[in-house]
Amino acid sequence: MTYSSTLALNRTRYQGRNQNSVSFQAQARTLGPISNTITLIVLACLLGLLYLTQVTKTNAFGYQINALQQQQSSLNSQHSDLENTSARLQSLSRVQGSAVAKSLVPVAPTATVQN
Amino acid sequence: MATSDDNQAIKRVRIWYGLLLLVLIIFSVRLFYVQIINYNHYRAAALGDQLKQYQIPATRGIIEAREGGSAIPIVLNQKLYTLYADPLYIKNVDKTAADIVPIIGGSVSHYAQLMRTKGSRYVILAKKLAPDQQAKIAALKSPGLGTQAVDFRIYPQGSLASQVLGFVNNDGKGEYGLEQALNKQLAGTPGQVKAVTDANGVPLAATKGNVQTAPQNGNTIVTTLDLSMQAQMEQILAQQYQKTKSKGLSAIIMDPNTGKIKAMANYPTFDPSTYQNVSDPSVFQNAAVSNAIEPGSSMKVLTTAAALDQGIIQPNTSFYDPAHWIVDGFNITDIEEDGGPRQQNIASLLNLSLNTGATWLLMQMGGGQINSKARNAWYDYMANHYRLGQATNIEQGYEPNGIVPKPQDNGAGIDLTYAETSFGQGLQVTALQMAAADSSVLNGGTYYQPTLIDQTVQANGQAVVNKPKVLARKVVLPKVSQEMQPLLENVVQQHLAEGFSYLNFSPAYSVGGKTGTAQIAAPGGTYYSDRFNGTYVGFVGGDKPQYVIVVFNQQPGVAGYAGSYGGQPVFADLAHMLINNSYVTPKSGQ
Repeated sequence: MTYSSTLALNRTRYQGRNQNSVSFQAQARTLGPISNTITLIVLACLLGLLYLTQVTKTNAFGYQINALQQQQSSLNSQHSDLENTSARLQSLSRVQGSAVAKSLVPVAPTATVQN
Repeated sequence: MATSDDNQAIKRVRIWYGLLLLVLIIFSVRLFYVQIINYNHYRAAALGDQLKQYQIPATRGIIEAREGGSAIPIVLNQKLYTLYADPLYIKNVDKTAADIVPIIGGSVSHYAQLMRTKGSRYVILAKKLAPDQQAKIAALKSPGLGTQAVDFRIYPQGSLASQVLGFVNNDGKGEYGLEQALNKQLAGTPGQVKAVTDANGVPLAATKGNVQTAPQNGNTIVTTLDLSMQAQMEQILAQQYQKTKSKGLSAIIMDPNTGKIKAMANYPTFDPSTYQNVSDPSVFQNAAVSNAIEPGSSMKVLTTAAALDQGIIQPNTSFYDPAHWIVDGFNITDIEEDGGPRQQNIASLLNLSLNTGATWLLMQMGGGQINSKARNAWYDYMANHYRLGQATNIEQGYEPNGIVPKPQDNGAGIDLTYAETSFGQGLQVTALQMAAADSSVLNGGTYYQPTLIDQTVQANGQAVVNKPKVLARKVVLPKVSQEMQPLLENVVQQHLAEGFSYLNFSPAYSVGGKTGTAQIAAPGGTYYSDRFNGTYVGFVGGDKPQYVIVVFNQQPGVAGYAGSYGGQPVFADLAHMLINNSYVTPKSGQ
């Protein structure tokens, strides 16, 4: 027995003797097994595609993160270099050798008596 | 009915089915072998290519010193680069060598020779390249050349406070000074990356099980050192080292009311940026903390304070000094200039530095003689009140405990040993221990933990202030502190009157101190007759002592007593420096 004949039997099962033979019966539209299989495969492919898209997107973010981390590292390095330069400029030996320091005039301390 | 052709066809199909089945079986078996039996091996091999696991180094914390109200970095990090070559990937050796010479200097032939090294895939061509040199190397895009960033310590103030700071060795570990004592805090915690990566080593974010922990950088240490004070102290020590023909000079300036070290230095010193070039490693030691010696007569400050605190003498007590005592069969005498037997008092005991006077103080602790009671009482002050014989636990490497003899009778002349300790022989202390003990005598009787740390700034920016830590109260009574101050001022005034003109200070300031000339122990339990260390313990202040200064001068080569001619001038220079630079608040109404 085929699948379509089974459907026909089901339709005739409820046609009783005194029933109106012209009564309307909606025909149920269902998918066959091949259609179901194809649909499932397509859905699975779509899901796979979606997964791949998300993975690719996420990995792309990984590259962005990496680029930002490198930028941060570079900025930290620049910051550190500037700190070093600032510290060198403030060093006592440099201050002592500066033009301003050289132009200072020594005065005898007033608070103590030196010999 | 099937024909013979049909049978043949069916047979052929069956054979093909059989072959196909056989191939499938072979495949299945192989797959089973690869995926099930050898699962671990192949998984490890695959992960070995894709899974990267490495540490992200933490940046070492910097060290700062105080200058006015701000903190100035005195130890920083600089990223420098190591240039290396992988000979396997270098196609044109001569051209590559010629390309790098204008950037890093050197000769083409030298680099070419290195690049032709066989059997190695990592050949270092140059170290400590600056960032701009690294950028130029990278711009060459030469296959087989690479650079590696390495953090190095730099010292913008040169050799300033080098022995207090220490240095970081080639393994990144702190050696000596603060770098050693606070290595863990300064080093921080390295981060970790464990991830499946692409061919360039970039972690793939979508991989399950990736681990990436950020490094926790080391803490910034803000020291209690005053930058200018430290620099001037080092200048003074360098000058006095020459003047006094010293073998080694150490000095400390401590705030007696907090325990904070404001300046601490030794001479000779070294440049930490070139520590590899130092031939004598002993110069790495912070001798002010690590060198325990017999302090000599500067110890009499502590002996006198102990006697005053016990109430067995008063500041104006007078006593008959016989100019010598026989203890355990040995003769304890004073120096010739002290003038023989006569009536003395506490002020003259300190001013003339009477060994017999200090011994007399010890006798008073025992009810008139050196006995078990006297030894126990004096030991209690040395070990428990003044905390001698135990490390102060300041943030420095290689701090010894020092030596304080036990008071029990050991049958080897313990009374003589104890008599000697009363005038600073027979025990060993560091300059720091003396500074901390004398601070407690002069500040009203509170022993503060000596420290070099003002505050610690964590990697997240949170600052933790190091508050003064009290280790002991009632070291001596507050009234004893008040009594000791004029007694020590008197010593300075008397020495000024004797001709030490450099001790001339304005009356707006309170300056006091005590010399010490210590014989140096020789092997065999005796003392060298011609070798002395000069020490000085003093203070500078206004209404109350604001700085305690301790000087240890190893074997000064000048004529005269080592304390007066080796220690005292250094103290005077430091005291003048403090006053002239307005570090000291003058007395009220001045």
